[in-house]
Amino acid sequence: MSEALANGYLESLLQGQSNLPRSPRGWLNTLRADALERANALSVPTTRDEEWRYTDLSPLYQKSFHHAPPAALPARAELTAYAVPEAGCTLTFVDGHFVPELSTACADPALTVMPFSAALAEQDPTLQAHLARHAVLGDDPFVAVNTAWLQDGVLLRVHAGRSAATAVHVLYVSTRAEGASYPRLLVVAEANGECTVVEDFVALQPAAYLTNGVTEVALADGARVRHVRVQRESIAAFHFGTCAVRIGRNARYLSSAVALGARISRFNLNITQADEGAESVLDGLALIRDKQLADTHSMLDHVQPHGRSRQLFKSIVDDTAHAVFNGKIFVRQGAQRTDSAQQSRSLLLSPRARVDTKPQLEIFADDVKCAHGAAVGQLEAEQVFYLKSRGLDEASARNLLTFAFAGEIIRGIALPSLARQLEHIVLQQTQKQTSYRNIQ
Amino acid sequence: MSSTDLLDDLTRREYPHGFVTSIEDDQAPPGLNEDIVRLISKKKNEPEFLLEWRLKAFRHWLTMEEPVWWPKVSYPRIDYQSIIYYSAPKPKKQLKSLDEVDPELLRTFEKLGIPLQEQQRLSNVAVDAVFDSVSVATTFKDKLKEMGIIFGSFSEAVREHPELIQQYLGSVVPYTDNYFAALNSAVFSDGSFCYIPPGVRCPMELSTYFRINAANTGQFERTLLIAEPGSYVSYLEGCTAPMRDENQLHAAVVELVALGNAHIKYSTVQNWYPGDKDGKGGIYNFVTKRGRCAGKGSRISWTQVETGSAITWKYPSCILQGDDSVGEFYSVAVTANRQQADTGTKMIHIGKNTKSTIISKGISAGRGQNTYRGAVKVLKGADGARNYSQCDSLLMGDRCGAHTFPYLDVRNPTATIEHEASTSKIGEDQLFYCRQRGLSEEDAVSMIVNGFCKEVLRELPMEFAVEAQKLLGLSLEGSVG
Repeated sequence: MSEALANGYLESLLQGQSNLPRSPRGWLNTLRADALERANALSVPTTRDEEWRYTDLSPLYQKSFHHAPPAALPARAELTAYAVPEAGCTLTFVDGHFVPELSTACADPALTVMPFSAALAEQDPTLQAHLARHAVLGDDPFVAVNTAWLQDGVLLRVHAGRSAATAVHVLYVSTRAEGASYPRLLVVAEANGECTVVEDFVALQPAAYLTNGVTEVALADGARVRHVRVQRESIAAFHFGTCAVRIGRNARYLSSAVALGARISRFNLNITQADEGAESVLDGLALIRDKQLADTHSMLDHVQPHGRSRQLFKSIVDDTAHAVFNGKIFVRQGAQRTDSAQQSRSLLLSPRARVDTKPQLEIFADDVKCAHGAAVGQLEAEQVFYLKSRGLDEASARNLLTFAFAGEIIRGIALPSLARQLEHIVLQQTQKQTSYRNIQ
Repeated sequence: MSSTDLLDDLTRREYPHGFVTSIEDDQAPPGLNEDIVRLISKKKNEPEFLLEWRLKAFRHWLTMEEPVWWPKVSYPRIDYQSIIYYSAPKPKKQLKSLDEVDPELLRTFEKLGIPLQEQQRLSNVAVDAVFDSVSVATTFKDKLKEMGIIFGSFSEAVREHPELIQQYLGSVVPYTDNYFAALNSAVFSDGSFCYIPPGVRCPMELSTYFRINAANTGQFERTLLIAEPGSYVSYLEGCTAPMRDENQLHAAVVELVALGNAHIKYSTVQNWYPGDKDGKGGIYNFVTKRGRCAGKGSRISWTQVETGSAITWKYPSCILQGDDSVGEFYSVAVTANRQQADTGTKMIHIGKNTKSTIISKGISAGRGQNTYRGAVKVLKGADGARNYSQCDSLLMGDRCGAHTFPYLDVRNPTATIEHEASTSKIGEDQLFYCRQRGLSEEDAVSMIVNGFCKEVLRELPMEFAVEAQKLLGLSLEGSVG
């Protein structure tokens, strides 16, 4: 593909961006203009870029997507299937726009939830201090395009020293074919604040559309954030997501990211352990089939001493699907006593499935404990044999083991209703020949 | 001695092989163009096909760009027009035997610890010595000839066995492979050639010793090793260079072909001049090494101990084409002072039930940067492929770096791929234990390092293992973390 065509693609995504209403806040206009300039300077990635070497985006470039406000809002009833009863409030985005009518107000005194428009009107200093400060305009064209389209998003603030009793559920709904949506979420946990955030990307029809979301999470000293991210876009969709996290002193960030949908999905998880004693625990699962491609790139940067991180990424790949995992771990020169471990495990279910995994350790400090491991393979013959010896047939044994493989990640999600929903999806995908009813 | 004293000690350590031998040499003018390529070919009386091949390689090289973006090494751009591409000790007359070799040259090899004549009598290692770019002496030739083994300089093989060269040259590393392989293909001046006939087990270790002597020269040697079905050979190479302030380029190509059930064991102890403590001078070691397991059950094992060079950049690889073939890679790479190493391997599983093992040990000290970059690729047809990789890094000092970049690309569900990596420093508790048993801090470190590298060192032939252990000790003397 020629460079010219590639450049043209970003331009097509930015078409109409100039019609965005100007914000009364100058800094936001500057931010958008910078992002536009950045996006114009970048070209869309090809497999010649090291960061994209396994992810061929040419199917995306053959389609065109346009950003527009939602034509008609979905009825509440259409969204009940995605409800998370444990959540205290739900924030709903439709085609990238925050829709207060479909959202519920947040009654938790530990939290302030407001759309960017309200935060801008109140001149909330948090917004300006954090927005686009964590997901910076680097070489990623998708972050630049999202930022150029920055219009409404949601600011979630966790008050200092307060712990939210219930989770916040953020639902991103796509309704239109050929639509492009650019949702934006900013989570700011003040010192010693604690909360749980669930991000859920869903589709109301099996259409081809583009989601390009950016989430920023800032944890002040001693804060704790549990972050669950479920990507269940339509099987024809294209999904690009970036989550940028900054972890302060003795703060703790826990993430579970599950990728189930989309024709091509790419999730960038960029974590900076910016101060001493920061900790992160990252779980990831990709369960894909057909022609799906799921790409997860994580970047875990240990900047200061005494950091700790644990990462477990699993993929289950069927048919001609293709899973990509690239896990970078940096330990900077001063980050002594860092303790970091990363595991990547992949299960190939079909002869034409493909996995590319690239754990990456870059260490510049000497007093550290770092390890990574990667394994790719099929189900263990001994395990299948054991289950068969207990009376299960071959297919059930395999399905059960596959289910258990995914279960390790799903069980880590602390919201029972969501975990059940996910388990159900995994069951549906793993039960190929036999029925699972007897185990359910 | 405190650890800072020890570190000072280390940085003051002299490179023991850093002398220059004053020998008249026959040099081509610096620079690279088609005329130089023709000149090299003419000097060596090469057949037409080889000149053609060189020219094709040269023309292809002109279209390529130097890879500066992906290896994790940094160096000033190389001016390819200021390098001398051919430098040979001036031939006085056609050499008939070792006795006629320039005595000055022989003394050089003696200083390096390779007394060619001695070795002939005492040890059981046949040596081919390459000085600058030309092979100067080969020992034990006749004895090997009786068994049908051909071992000697590349140019000799071109003269005597052009059919083998024509068949195999570039069959594993084509001249289009990469920038430095293309350059080498155009200007390589000599190297070693080895052919093991079917079913023959080579009774001794074959060895090549490389030495860069002249200033401003690049060394571009080429090694081709062919093992016919059912044969076995163990091959060693060692390298040194004088101390010079400028950087010198070494861009070699090694091609191995193992046919059905053949087994090639290729060991390297690389100790090119690493530059001084501020990173001035030293060799750029940009080498392409690859083996092809062409037949059923063939096996190639690479063992390398890399302690020298300002920059090491090489990936000895195996193409596992034959069913049941086996590839192995054992590596110790040490970077001290300002050395940089980006090394690893590539295992390409094509045949069924192919196996590969990767054991890589990286040691970084001072301001050294050590990168493991390896790829394991399992293609669709490689049913039952199996890989095990282990990459461990040891850090000594807080200004060095250790990096691991394994690429796993799996397209067959019956493959089992495992990769493990760890990074740590020498534990205080380990040191304390050794110290309380009466060992000095230095001995304790050396013991722990040797233990860390044990899995690799034990793969080396005995004589080399001893040398490698000494080298490790020297390179890291005093680098207590």
